[in-house]
Amino acid sequence: MKLIIGGAYQGKKEYASREYHLNESIWADGKSCSWEEVLCAAAVHDFHVLIRRQLREGKDILSLGKELCEKNPKIIVVTDEVGYGIVPMEAEERAWREACGRVCTVLAEKADEVVRVCCGIGRRIKG
Amino acid sequence: MFHLITGGSGSGKSAYAEQCILDFQGNNRVYIATMYPFDEESHKRIQRHREMRKEKKFSTIECYTGLRSLELPNDADVLLECMSNLTANEMYQEQGAGEDTPEQILDGIENLRKKVRNLVVVTNEVFSDGITYDPDTMRYLSYLGEINQQMGRMADRVTEVVYGIPVPIKMPNKNGM
Repeated sequence: MKLIIGGAYQGKKEYASREYHLNESIWADGKSCSWEEVLCAAAVHDFHVLIRRQLREGKDILSLGKELCEKNPKIIVVTDEVGYGIVPMEAEERAWREACGRVCTVLAEKADEVVRVCCGIGRRIKG
Repeated sequence: MFHLITGGSGSGKSAYAEQCILDFQGNNRVYIATMYPFDEESHKRIQRHREMRKEKKFSTIECYTGLRSLELPNDADVLLECMSNLTANEMYQEQGAGEDTPEQILDGIENLRKKVRNLVVVTNEVFSDGITYDPDTMRYLSYLGEINQQMGRMADRVTEVVYGIPVPIKMPNKNGM
């Protein structure tokens, strides 16, 4: 597994496409794809939005993270880092931020590579 | 050794900080808890952290305000968690330091740093959502930012934890400190 993280609009997906030679057509889109699609996709972007959608469906996020590691251990996951602000007043926002952190911590543990992209430049923090 | 640990929400910074304390291999582990249990969510959060520490033999001291009057033994390896709570407590609780929050907290940190064997402080990256909040929240951000900067100067080591991965920000120099 490869985990590509960073702020919004930093060129994370472009970095991954370049680095791992991925065609546009292989990407699953976390804004619209189902969880089952992610389990067999080569790569997924906007994973943080997928997490929000799963939370709204009442899914247990940590088990999803473990399931992904088991069933699709080669996937390339691109996600925004969202946990760097004042803790939100709204419970759902709060839960989402924390869930993103916890599930990505599960993925990062299993990943052979974690890259943090800033200004389009990737810095390897693991692997 | 003073080790400052920072990270975002759910980043695994607590687990990492606890491991750092275990790695010191001392006999007196002290946990300074700063989260005031004001609602069900904070109770749950506190319970989760207690579960994490259960097997690690910490004695827990609750300190919601007044860090600088805390007395601890010199052989202690101390974990203070978390600076973002302590700062909010000092600013908003009745018996808190109010406008003197940064000064009083930093006094407390300096006392601890000089006194105890090892000090690990967990703080929080809450500065990057680009939102302009009400003046009171902006003041909170400036106080916590100031405290973090000062601790960064004082610390022998600073680490940002990113999804469980320790990313070094400041490393001890060659003679080990």
